[in-house]
Amino acid sequence: MAAGGAGGASKTYSFKVVLLGEGCVGKTSLVLRYCENKFNDKHITTLQASFLTKKLNIGGKRVNLAIWDTAGQERFHALGPIYYRDSNGAILVYDVTDEDSFQKVKNWVKELRKMLGNEICLCIVGNKIDLEKERNVSVQDAEEYAESVGAKHYHTSAKLNKGIEELFLDLCKRMMETAQADERAKGNGASQSSTSRRGVQIVDDEPQAATAAGVGCCSG
Amino acid sequence: MQTFLSGQQLEGSGVCFFGLKAILSSSTVSALLPARSPPAPSSPASREMSQKSERRGIHVDQSELLCKKGCGYYGNAAWQGLCSKCWREEYQRARQKQIQEDWALAEKLQREEEAAYASSQGAQSQPSLTPFSKFEEKKTNEKTRKVTTVKKFFSPSSRTAPKKALAARLKDSHEGKTPSPSISRQSSIETDRVSRDFVDFLKTLQKPGREIHKQSRAFIEGMANKKDLGADELSECVQDFYQNMSDRLMTHFKGSSERVERVMDQVEKYIMTRLYKNVFCPETTDDEKKDLATQHRIRALHWVTIQMLCVPVDEEIPEVSDNVVKAITDVIEMDSKRVPRDKLACITRCSKHIFNAIKITKNEPASADDFLPTLIYIVLKANPPRLQSNIQYITRFCNPSRLMTGEDGYYFTNLCCAVAFIEKLDGQSLNLSTEDFERYMSGQASPRRQEPEAWPPEGPCGGSSPGLAQVYQNLELLTGLEARQERVLEGARSLESDLISWQESVEREVQQILEKYPLEIRTPASAIDSDNVENDRLPPPLQPQVFAG
Repeated sequence: MAAGGAGGASKTYSFKVVLLGEGCVGKTSLVLRYCENKFNDKHITTLQASFLTKKLNIGGKRVNLAIWDTAGQERFHALGPIYYRDSNGAILVYDVTDEDSFQKVKNWVKELRKMLGNEICLCIVGNKIDLEKERNVSVQDAEEYAESVGAKHYHTSAKLNKGIEELFLDLCKRMMETAQADERAKGNGASQSSTSRRGVQIVDDEPQAATAAGVGCCSG
Repeated sequence: MQTFLSGQQLEGSGVCFFGLKAILSSSTVSALLPARSPPAPSSPASREMSQKSERRGIHVDQSELLCKKGCGYYGNAAWQGLCSKCWREEYQRARQKQIQEDWALAEKLQREEEAAYASSQGAQSQPSLTPFSKFEEKKTNEKTRKVTTVKKFFSPSSRTAPKKALAARLKDSHEGKTPSPSISRQSSIETDRVSRDFVDFLKTLQKPGREIHKQSRAFIEGMANKKDLGADELSECVQDFYQNMSDRLMTHFKGSSERVERVMDQVEKYIMTRLYKNVFCPETTDDEKKDLATQHRIRALHWVTIQMLCVPVDEEIPEVSDNVVKAITDVIEMDSKRVPRDKLACITRCSKHIFNAIKITKNEPASADDFLPTLIYIVLKANPPRLQSNIQYITRFCNPSRLMTGEDGYYFTNLCCAVAFIEKLDGQSLNLSTEDFERYMSGQASPRRQEPEAWPPEGPCGGSSPGLAQVYQNLELLTGLEARQERVLEGARSLESDLISWQESVEREVQQILEKYPLEIRTPASAIDSDNVENDRLPPPLQPQVFAG
């Protein structure tokens, strides 16, 4: 099974989640905190923090979470679609002290909605709330924006280990709901092999569909 | 040995089927050939017609027209003088005999081969080579006998998906007329080993194993007939097969996805080893062209440095450069594997080496921000053969569950990104001006020549290779030497001119003095006599003589 993961009721769900965001917003710290519960620790056992997995049990259902880190440098921006195709969720991280990184998140949201429509669960994450004093992105702005694009907004601090568990747990629940809805739709008659198989082909005339689904507000 | 036998049983029907089919096509043609060779009309019906019309002129005895078997029906020259019924019987019998002969030969060869395997697993044993060459000989004989059919063997229908070692061998010897026996043998050994592993593995599954084997075989057979399809259709077929198979396994194993995965890995290995030749870089695609383009592109980018890509790897640390070399080797090795999963494993190993290199340099786990640039750098340094073909092959024929979600999939995705980046790479992505980028690409300039003054500070802290540093040091030394030599030469030249002018001045002085004091030769004042040396030679002085008179 490719993206959607599960087969039946008692099956294990496998979800792919991409981490998007600018260079120094703390994507890596976030996942390392989540999967290893470590922050800036010299004794981190993992060799790398770019692909991490986590096994969860949510409401008696097993979930395998694969977290894909992406290169945040501007020059790799164009490679985004290769990373996020077939992903079930995306975590868009910005630094609350860096207005610019929030703009980048907005760009990502637009792109993801355009390419993947509403199949993907979006989480917008303001990281580094331990630096509240230096905050440059207002909470209200961020939350309003998130709501307007059908995303959930979270505040986290990888340093203080705040909000991270909730973020991933929430995301998993939402992805499970989406997957179950998908299954029901499939059960209603659509041939299953076509959707569950790989290869999201990037179609350019998708945006109308996406905007119709409620992304109308984000202009420019 | 026990495992072996049942493996054979499992395979048995397949070999039989194949043998029948292959021989059917070959013997039909060979039997018809002699009949066709005389200038006879192509169809029996028209021949009969012409004979009837000739009757008026030439007498043909009625008995000559009858079936040679004497059954009372008319015979036909096209059927060697037999009637249709007798001909069919005769032909059937000959064919049966040939099938049995081939069959016996096949069995014999297989036995020999297995014996050879048992005696030596790793090293290729001599004894097994002999029967093989004999076999080859026979094969070539057959080929010369029916040259016209050779073409048939190259057509898809001839690849009726050989199942067993021998069958694979048959195919290899058909396809590769040119390669030496040892080469075709090499690949058939691999196919062979894979099938055996597959059968051994399926044995552990008992009944469903047999079913899986049957389906895989049928699938390969079906694929052999679809060689003319485009790459996407082929991929579609394979993916459909994976999907069906895993769905079925899912119900059988009651949803234990781990076991399904394990079986699917084996199925993939078996199928793709068999199909590799036909579906890797197929002629219907432009994969090969893309391979070449990428290769040239990477070669043209030889000047890209670790600093331009911001690679967080310090190659001056021996351990790091060791890992870099290993990563390069792994990514190159990918091309030598047949099974998509094995290719993926090479990429994964390469990535692990990269992570090691980064971890040693930075002393923290690598993030994607570090990993991707380093992978790009490795790909640029390695210039892996047939990179695009390999990527396409993996995308088309790998089991999607692995490719899309697993760790292998992540590294593969990064490799795709690296290639995409290299293809689109421009000055901006390397922090260079467009003009500089163009100049470097065209080879008019190289980054080091351009900005020599930028090098000394960049060299040590940026961690360029020690070799480069040495080169620059040497260059500096050489420039110093050149200047000194210049000075020496200049000194020598001035010395020369000094000498010349000194000589001239001396000459001039002498001249002046000579002019001033011209040489005057004064006659000596003393009497000649006094110092006349030759006095004694003179005649004695005349003595005054007194003459009387």
